[in-house]
Parts: sequence; structure tokens; C-alpha cells
Amino acid sequence: MKILTERMEAHRTDSHTIERYEATGGYTALRKGLLELGAEAVAAEVKASNLRGRGGANFPAGVKWGFLAPAKPAYLVVNGDESEPGTFKDRQLLERDPHQLVEGVILSSFALDVHHAFIYIRGEYPKPARRLQDAVDEAYEKGYLGSDILGSGFDLDVTIHLGGGAYICGEESALLNSLEGRRGEPRIKPPFPAIEGLYSKPTIVNNVETLSNVPWIVNNGGVAYARIGPDTSAGTRMISLSGHVENPGNYEIVMGMPWREIIYGLGGGIPGGRELKAWIPGGSSAPWFVPAEHLDVPATIDDTDSNGSMMGSGAIIVMDDSTDMVKAAHRIVRFYSHESCGQCTPCREGTTWLERILYRIVSGQGRHADIELLLDISDGISPGLTWPPLMTTICPLGPSATAPVVSLMQYFRHEVEAMIGDDDG
Amino acid sequence: MKEVVLTAKEATAIEGWSKPSQQRSVEILSRYPDKRSAVMPLLYISMIENGYVTEDGMRQVGLLTGLSPAQVQSVASFYTMYKREPIGDYLVGVCTSISCFLLGADDVLAAIEDESGVPDGESGGDGTFSIEHVECNGACGGAPVVLVNWEMIEGVTPEKARELVRWLRDGRPDVVNTEEMQRLFGGKRAFDWGVKEPVGAILPVPAFGPYGSVGGEAT
Amino acid sequence: MADRELVTITIDGVEMQGPAGEVLIKVAEDNGNFIPRFCWHPRMKPVGMCRMCLVEVIGPRGPMLLPSCTTRVTDGMEVDTQSTVVKKAQEGVLEYLLINHPLDCPICDKGGECPLQDHTMAYGPGESRFVEEKRHYEKPIPISELVLLDRERCILCARCTRFSEEISGDPLIEFKDRGNAVQVITFPDEPFASYFSGNTVQICPVGALTATPYRFKARPWDLEAVESVSLVDSVGSKVSVQSSQNSVVRIDGIDNEPTNQGWLSDKDRFIFESIHSDNRLTTPLIKQDGKFVETGWGEALDYVAEKLSDMTGEVVAGLGGANNTNEEAFAFGKFLRTIVVTPHIDAQLDDGLDPHFLVGVTPRAAIPDLETAKTILLWAGDLKEEYPVLYLRVRRAAAELGAKLIVVHPRATGLDDVAAHKIRYRPGRGPDVLRELRGGAEDYAEARSALDEGPVVAIVGRTGLAENPRLAEGVAAFVRDLPGGKILPLARRGNIVGALDMGLAPTLLPGRVSETSAHDLLEAEWGPLPESRALDATGILEGLRDGELEALIMLGVDPVRDHPEPQLARSALESAQLVVAFDHFLSDSTQLADVVLPVEGFAEVEGTVTNIEGRVQKVNRLVPGPGQTRPVWSALDDLARRMGGDLGAPSAAALAKEIERVAPVYHGVTWDALDWGEGREGLLLPIEDGVQHLEYIPVDDGLAPVNARYGLHLGRVLYDDGVRTRMSPSLAALAPEAKVYLNSTDAKVLGLEEGAVATVESAYGSAELPVAIDESLGRTTVYVPANLAATAELGAAVAVVVSKGEAS
Repeated sequence: MKILTERMEAHRTDSHTIERYEATGGYTALRKGLLELGAEAVAAEVKASNLRGRGGANFPAGVKWGFLAPAKPAYLVVNGDESEPGTFKDRQLLERDPHQLVEGVILSSFALDVHHAFIYIRGEYPKPARRLQDAVDEAYEKGYLGSDILGSGFDLDVTIHLGGGAYICGEESALLNSLEGRRGEPRIKPPFPAIEGLYSKPTIVNNVETLSNVPWIVNNGGVAYARIGPDTSAGTRMISLSGHVENPGNYEIVMGMPWREIIYGLGGGIPGGRELKAWIPGGSSAPWFVPAEHLDVPATIDDTDSNGSMMGSGAIIVMDDSTDMVKAAHRIVRFYSHESCGQCTPCREGTTWLERILYRIVSGQGRHADIELLLDISDGISPGLTWPPLMTTICPLGPSATAPVVSLMQYFRHEVEAMIGDDDG
Repeated sequence: MKEVVLTAKEATAIEGWSKPSQQRSVEILSRYPDKRSAVMPLLYISMIENGYVTEDGMRQVGLLTGLSPAQVQSVASFYTMYKREPIGDYLVGVCTSISCFLLGADDVLAAIEDESGVPDGESGGDGTFSIEHVECNGACGGAPVVLVNWEMIEGVTPEKARELVRWLRDGRPDVVNTEEMQRLFGGKRAFDWGVKEPVGAILPVPAFGPYGSVGGEAT
Repeated sequence: MADRELVTITIDGVEMQGPAGEVLIKVAEDNGNFIPRFCWHPRMKPVGMCRMCLVEVIGPRGPMLLPSCTTRVTDGMEVDTQSTVVKKAQEGVLEYLLINHPLDCPICDKGGECPLQDHTMAYGPGESRFVEEKRHYEKPIPISELVLLDRERCILCARCTRFSEEISGDPLIEFKDRGNAVQVITFPDEPFASYFSGNTVQICPVGALTATPYRFKARPWDLEAVESVSLVDSVGSKVSVQSSQNSVVRIDGIDNEPTNQGWLSDKDRFIFESIHSDNRLTTPLIKQDGKFVETGWGEALDYVAEKLSDMTGEVVAGLGGANNTNEEAFAFGKFLRTIVVTPHIDAQLDDGLDPHFLVGVTPRAAIPDLETAKTILLWAGDLKEEYPVLYLRVRRAAAELGAKLIVVHPRATGLDDVAAHKIRYRPGRGPDVLRELRGGAEDYAEARSALDEGPVVAIVGRTGLAENPRLAEGVAAFVRDLPGGKILPLARRGNIVGALDMGLAPTLLPGRVSETSAHDLLEAEWGPLPESRALDATGILEGLRDGELEALIMLGVDPVRDHPEPQLARSALESAQLVVAFDHFLSDSTQLADVVLPVEGFAEVEGTVTNIEGRVQKVNRLVPGPGQTRPVWSALDDLARRMGGDLGAPSAAALAKEIERVAPVYHGVTWDALDWGEGREGLLLPIEDGVQHLEYIPVDDGLAPVNARYGLHLGRVLYDDGVRTRMSPSLAALAPEAKVYLNSTDAKVLGLEEGAVATVESAYGSAELPVAIDESLGRTTVYVPANLAATAELGAAVAVVVSKGEAS
């Protein structure tokens, strides 16, 4: 079952062009939505689809739309700041089928009574941004954007906004600050963006993949979408496989297959005859899974969660038995330390402290006391080190840095101890 | 999109910019309900005009967006792509985040530092190179990834990375094109890129039409 | 806030009430439960960044760790501030903050009054487990003439950056970089030259921002302090005056809800340096053969008494009193009216407004009316320059509280960025603009309709010295007819309203009553009062110049600098047979006196002052005056005795009691009432159940516009060349260079460019000034900052002639 990648697989040279898009059923959902169904019905289909956000938090999109406050103007903001290590699915959707997103944006804006939508693309994605800008320009030329779209009386402008290099802007309120020309610092919530978002106006923020599903949902009905896959993990979703795996890449899957099948089936197993040591099931901020415990857990949102990790952004990072787990953990923690916005004391100071201790251990200067210290610093950022994590911070970036530390100590403490060796202290 | 006319003071502030940059600035301002939103796009244009984000550039952007220079600096310094020091013609970034790290990115970075003679985080080679390690660039399936002026090459080995450095140094291409560099120096890709795209980047500013430095054939 | 519904919450098992929607940290504090914090400040929007104020709120799914500064109270909320989780979080935050902190407390100005230090003792971990290298920065770096920044001490709470962006509107200090590299910093070559920078030093929770005037001067535990009121302008900002070894070393703002809400201008904060200036007068001086000779009080007072006794009272006049306490002003007025027996008294120098208008206009606005105003009409000087703390209040009303602000002024002002409507006009054309605004002429139609939305608060004064004072009354007359229209009239000098209330005006007697209505009543108290027609300041100076008056007694005034006609003031003082000055310094005017008597001043005297709203507050004594300085009342009492009279002024307290008795609107205003309870916020006149006898209804005189080739806008700047500023070294350096401002078209027509020298000539004098281009000025409008040494000779003429200077 393919929804998002069908066109690009069938038409490898021109799936991004408007000619191909229209020739393969593109913009029919737009006609149906704007001219037949009406705004409320489009929103109802999305709600009925049980489509859950694909940016990482997995929040039901239809429910989120329902929170939009009545004040006008309202805005739709598309989160294309794909930055969670291991994730590269939106990049493919943007490069290979940008019109699918544009059509989803128009339909969603229509459903939400939004007349100006913004698509925030991370600055390091110039090619996806170029493709998307071309698609937007073509849509304007064809009358799918602008005023009185398809004679429906509905007006919509779309602005593509390029980021400047900051992972944190993937957090929706930080993204809004960035879009307003501010530092990408997450905002205190409440108020949530649906009440007070862009320019303090009601705003819906949805991920690229999430909205790319909307044309299919409008064409085929929300119920049809909801019927795909397990109840609470409806529809297809993109997963990104990377690391020590034979066939890395993006896969559009129906959720529910066990992790074994993802790694050994889709992924083709571990290259070079090596053994699987661990994998990260949902982006580098997710706690690690290990073969002894998790290979037969079904890859659904709920099963992953109840086993102490998350599907997150769908990024699966595979590590074989040659991996130095302390170095791997350090590399992940370094990322979050580098990307901390600096607002909250525990994240700003704590993630950097974690990184420096791990670096010291990796450099042969570790002390045995560092093990408890690492866990205690983590506990100061994410009290109790529970799952799902609690936080002493505004946003989950800080706690994200504690996941690899906790997983390292949970499964590979002996490797840390071995690396520290005899510290004479 | 609303109509934007620059005041005399605003127009004077950027009269040293090229005509296209001036026109693009006005157009960018017209795309947002609040002119403050234009800060990030305008910072890219100021990089094109001034080579990097200079103090003058921040003052100019501040005038156009109604911000104090300190406010512009606060925004510019938050984001890693706004370079506030002079940079080389080719900004070579090596992703060393987890997926690339697992597949040998540190060796790729070391090869690039060695071949260019420029250490990570610095510029050198008579203004040819700036070398930096970067965090995840969304090409994890094609790790390790290298970016030249934000144009991506996937599946790079240390040997290919050295060739890339030499190619840039000796050939000094006016435009770096992701397709061409991928063909010459790349390996396994994260996904099928589909049709080739002829355009690329002229400067270390993302090659995005409305405010980047797109070179090659027009899109 | 006051009329919000109250909800009941439980904190640590104790029930308490607070307004629905208020932040938890505030409700807790108001009920005696202090939750530690760094970034939260009651006068700024909460940002929840430092995470020190985390508490557990018991929700439907168990306890949730939430910042109490961003959590709004709801009815039935249950909170735990003492749980293990909370304590661990607090310990964690402090440990994180300290890992990069230099712990240089022994050499830090903040040591001893440092929230980081205090919280670490109360809530912190016993020791640090940090063994890595700390973050290093160059320390400390000057970020302005007044403020030093030590980034190693900074805990990144963003109080300073938020203050400058949110409160003062001059975002010159900001966060830079990201994550662990975040630092607070200015832009290169753009110093933190804010009129309000000292507030960031005061609210900094560590020693990251320090003020040069206080640096290394004292340790907090050695300080003595009293509450008082700043006399820099007449907002009546409440301050804490602090001294070490009998020397004032610091002034901090106190949060007084109706007035300054904690904030001060840097001028309020640092002008204390003048108190201990080496130039301060410490000995009485008598002029002999054109030179001052030091003498004793007895000799000086005998000399003055003898001279005055030889004159009939009505050839003597008095000027000043607006920089003094009410008690001093009262003693001065009583001395002139009953000992000298002269009616010629004025606390203004023809640079303000009609005294009846200033004290008696109805309906009068109070500063808190700005909080509820729908529309604010500001037709006065640039508040940022003249009334910096009132500027903050108006900025808040417009930027935060949604009031529509209309600014009418000849050029750009500090509030333009938050103004809904800006009306700029050429000096002299004010009457036309008023007529057109009232009539809703096309250009002003939107502003006019905004004025139909009440309540309207109008702040009226003279936009510049060259403007006719009757224009403000015309504006006030218009505002009276607007829905909910109230008027706040502005005049300069710290205690001008108090001085007028004490009768220091030709037509007023103490207690906000007119001379004609209260003459007989006061005679019953004081004995015979002068009967003849009283002269105002200009009349007095002309009388002295022309020989109709013979003597002048000055109380803290500098007419040569401040009167619109400096030449008149100078020749008056030169012509007078006797000039006696009570003052702190030798100024342009006191230089011309025959006898100069050194008196005590701010922080040295106790008494009351009255601000522009009519709010009476207490000022207090902290240090003795230097040398032989005496309180004004004591010197006057002594002088009266030497003239054979009895002033009845044995102490300031006794004078306060007499004021309370004989000055009608001050009935019920006692020192006790101001020192304790609600009176500490100040008592607004007329106080509850009080009666104001003088009610002044402004009328529009229908002034004619003044036509001239170039209209002069003579506006005030905060750091002028006034004697107290000059004697405060930290502030003196901040006075701007005098320039003449023109728009570029006018400059071109005159063949002038930026930096060229122009000659500006008025009816009174001329000045050679460098040209600055100011596009906010209309054609043929010239702006010159008033009261700088280089512009003083111009006087206050509307019409000027501008030409190419000889040097250009």
C-alpha cells in the first residue's frame, strides 16, 4: 500500500512536475474539496482519517485542527525543518512530489479558513526548497493559488521560508518565533499555537508528511485512510533507515510489522556479516532498543511507546556490533548540546556538562564517579528518567539528550566501565 | 501579497546593493504580514552582497525590518548558516552526526582537513575554503554526507573527499552543482534523486531562488 | 487586576486567595510564600527560562512540575513547593548555574545582596561536582559610560534584555549566539546608551551588570538607607537613597504602583553624585569688590538683614523654590510675604504654564489613569527627554495595555514607535493644528475619531520653550469635551506643583487657593499681607532691570540659564542693588549674587514634595549637609529674627504642621500619614473627603499662529547643562553636543550639509552650531536643544534666521 511515494516510484524523472502531477490525478482532490465538499467536510475527512502528526509527536491532526481559535486571520504553517538525526523522509517528499504537499496545503488552508500559509524549510535544504518554490509558482500560474482558486472564491497565498540552521526550529513554537524573525526559542505553552501562534494569531503547524496525505484522504475519504494499518497507527508512514544496514533509505510502510522485519526485511540486515547491537527506533532522541528484548515488538506508535521508546519521526538508526556505544552516545549528546537554544538552565548547562563528561571518558580521562554523575545530571533535566520523559525545561530538547545516556547505562554500562578502566580515583 | 515601498532612509541603506538584490529585498518584505519576518531572508541577501554577515549588513537589515542592530545580531548569531566572519569561496561541511558518524564521517572530515590544509572550523587556502563539521543534514541513508555551499554529496569516502578538495582547488568552479559533484565524488544515496537538476550554488548561501545564489541554468 | 475574581488555591496545605489568572509565583508571594526565582520580575512578562521557580501542581494525572512564574492560578489548584522532586529540581538548577559562575563574590558589588548567593545558601547543593573548565569571557567590559558587563557572572535570565526591549523600548542589549555559548552583549560600536540602563543593574540577579558610579564604593551590609522621592522631574519616583560613611553612594528605584513602578531614569539614579561634588558650596559668601569672600553665617545674615531692613518690602522679590521641599517653599513664601512683606513671588521662570492651570485644572488625570485610558493625547515635550519615567508609563499603556497614543510634536519623539498617530507641526502653527484636529480635518480624521473613544487622558505641556503656554490650555479646553477626558498638565522642575501649592506664585496662596479668595483668611493667621499687584518672574526681572525693584532673593534658581530671555535675566541680576541666593552651587545666576548662602538639599533634609498629579510624598534625611550648610528654613528663620520678625519655623516638622493647618488642600496630610500604611504610596490631593477650592477651567484663547521664515523648536534634552547634571561627573559626560537640526531639503536650500556650521539668530542672541539632518522635521522647522552651553544665548524665540556659518 503506497500513498505518498506511489507517483515518484512510478515516474522517476518527472514526478515533481505539475504536468506529471496533474496527469496522475493531481489537484483532483482540490477540485473535490473546494467545489464539492466545502471546508467543514474537508476538515471532517481529515478528522475521520485518524491521521497522526508525522513530525515526531504523533498528535492526531484532526484533533489539532479542532483547537484552532476563531480569531482571524489564522495561519497554517508547514513544518519542513526536518532535522532530527536519522530523518530524511520529508526531503524526499519535497524533492520528488512537491505538488502533493502544495495540494495538501491548499486543502488544509481551505478547511481551516486560512488565507496565508507558510512553509518553513530548513536552510540546509536548498534543493527541496527550489523544487517546492517551482511547484508553488506553477500552482499560482495554474490558478491553484492566489485569489478565487478554481472559481471557489477561496484565496490563498503561500510563502516559503528558509531556515538558517537550527534544529530547535523543528519545535513548533520555536519555528513560529523563527518565522517571525526572532531567535528560534521555544515558547511557553499554554498558550498553544492554535490559540496564539504566528503573530499571536491562531495557527496550525503541521509536518510536511502529514499534509502530504491530505489529497489522498480527500480523494478516498478519511474512513478509507483510517482502515489502513492498526487502529491507533492508521495509514501509511515514511520511515528512514540509516546506519549499519544493508539497504538504507526511506520506506513507506503500513505500521505494525515487527522491528525484526524492518531491520532484516526492508533493511536487508546488517552488512559485512556483523551482528545487530542496538537500534534507535524513532530519531536520535529516542531511547535505544536492543535485539535481546525488542526485535519482536510491533513497530506501531503505541507498542514502541509502551516498550519505553518512540516512533518519533520514523528514523531508525541501526548500530552493529563494531559500534563503540560510548562514542555513539557522546555523538548524540553532542548534537543536543550544540542545538540547545540556551533558554532553560538545565538544558543549556546540563546537556553541555553531559557532553563534556562523555568526551572526557571517550578521551581516556573518565572517572567511575562520572557514571552516577551522568545519570544524576540527566535526572536534573528529566526528573525520574521515566518514559515518557518528564522535564524541567520548556521543550523536550533537554530530555532528548538524556535518552542516549540512560540507554547507554541501561544496556552498555560495562562498556563505559571498561573504557574508564582504573581511574586511580 | 502587499505592496511595499521603501522609505528614503531604507532605500539609502541598501543603495550599495546590486539592483536584483534591492528588488528581491522589496519582494521579500511584501511576502510577510510583519516586516520583522524578513530578517532571515534579508540576512542571506546581505551575505550575498557583503560576502558574509558584516556589521554593516546587520545594520542594513535592521533598517529594513525596524530592528536595532543588536536585535539583528541576536537573530543572526542564533543560526549557524549566517557566517559572521569572512568565509572561503567554498564552504565545505561534513556531517558528523550519529548516522554519518557510524559510517565513517570522522575519517571523511579528517581527509578534507588534511587535503585542504584547513582545520575544522576555520578558513584558509587563500580564501578558497572554509571547513566545518555540521550536524545532521538529512541524508542519513546516504551517509556520510558532505556539503559544498549547501549542495549535497552523499556516500562520500575519505578518498573521494580528497578528490573533491583537489577538484575545487584546481578547477575553482563558478557554480557547484549537487548532481555533478554526486556523480564525481558520491556513492550510495539516501533515495533515488530522480531527474538531474542543472542548477547549483554560486556562493556559500543556499541556492534558493528568492534569496539565494542560484547558478547554472534557470529553473 | 483589582477587579478580577478571586480564586482559592492551596499551597503546601495552606489555603490562600488570589486573582484568577494571576501567576502562581505572585499569588504565593502576596500570601507570604516566597518561591525562589531569577528570571521572573513582577513588572515584566514571564518567560519561564531560569527554571528556578519550578513547583509541583497536582493535576488529574498526578503532580506536574511547572514553573510558577508562567502557571496561572485556577480555583482549587493544589501546589507543592516543598516536595522531593521540587527540591531536587531547585538544587539542580543552582548547580547548573554555578558550574560556569566564577564565584568571585568577595570582589563582587552584588555580594551580600545577590539572589544567586542567597538562593544557593537556601536551596543549593552543598558542593559542585563540576571538574571541567569553566566558561571564560573577558571581564568586565564597559557597555556604556555607566554600565559594566561581566559575562562570566551572568546567569542568562534575560531580565536586562527584556527590560530594554519590553519596558524602555531601546533594545541595545541582547542575547547573542546559542545554547551554552549564549551571552548578553551590545552591538559593536553601539553602546548601551539608554536613559534607563541603571534599571538593568538594579534588576540583575547577579553581579553581571554593575554601575560605574557605585562600583567598589561599599558593601551592602555597610549601607544605610532611607526611602525618598527623586526630584529630577516631577513624576515623584520613589527611591531608596543609600549611604556609606555619611556619603550617598547609590539610589535604587522602589516599586510604587501609582508612579514609577520600580523604574528610574539614569538621571534620577546617578544625580546623587552632585551631592558630594567638590564644587558644592559649604561656606556663606559675600561679594567684595566683585569677588566672593568666604564668611560666617552670622556675618552673612546680618549683612542681608541690614540691607533688606533698609528697603520697603515691595521693592524686594523672590524667585525659586521648585527644587525644594514643600516645607522649605512654604517657609520661603511666608518669609517674603510676612517678614519682607512683598507680593512678588514666582517659582516658575516663565518657562512653564499658568500656575492656576497647573494646580487647579479639572478634571485632572492621575498617572494610574493611563492604565485604563483608551486614548492618550500627548501634546507636550518629548517625554523621553523631559519626563523619562512618565515616558515608561505611557509606553506601557500604548504597547502593552492597548491604549491608542496620539503624539503631537514638532519632531520625532521617543514614543513614536508605539504611537497610533503622529502629528508633526512647525512651531508657531500649533493653534492651527489644534483647530484642524478639533474639526477633524482630513489629515487628522483618524486621530480625531480615536479621541472619541474614552476615557481620554491628555498630557499637555509646552512642546518647546518657544511655544506659547496658552496653547496647552487650548488643548486642555478641547480635551474637557471629549468622552472621559482628563488632563495631566506638565511643568518641569522636581517640586513645581508643591512650590505653587505653597503659594510661590504671584496669584496663589498656600493650599491651592487664589490670592484674592484666601487673602483675608491667611491674614488672620499670619497678620498683614502685602496688598499691591504681584509681579511674575518676567515682571520681577524687568522691574529689577528698570530699577523699579531693588532686591532679589533666589531659592535654588538659575534664571540666566532657564528664563526664556537670558539677557533680561542677566541684566536684572546685574542691576539689582541686592541679590541673595540660597543654593548649592555657583551657577550662571548665583555668580551674579551679592550674598550666597549654602543650604542643605536632597538626602540632607526631611519634608514633603508634591508631584504633577498632586501626589504628596515624603522625602527623608540620610546624610548631613557638607561644611556649614544649613536647612533653608533654619536660615530663613534666623534671618527673620535678625530683621526683627518671627517666622515661626523652628523645624521642618513644625512647618509641616503649619502647612497642614493653614493650607486648605493639605488638610489631613501629615508626615505620619505619609510614613505609614497606604500613605506610603503618596496621598493624592485633594485627599479623601478633602476639598479643592481652586478649580481651573481652561479655555481656548484662540491664539493666532506665529509666522516666520524658520520656526524654532527649542526642546529639552535629558542630559542638559543644568548645574546639578554638570556637577555629577557620570552624567556630565553624557550631555549631547549642541547642534542645529534641519531637514535635508532646508539644508540644501541653505547650502548646508551634515556637520557644516550654521548661524542661528533669534531676537535675543545667536549661536554658531554644527548642522545635523533630521528628516522628522517639517520644512522650515529648526530644532535646537535647549539649555546646552552653546545654545543658551538663543533664548526662547519662535522665529529664527538660519544661515551659513562663518566657518563653513
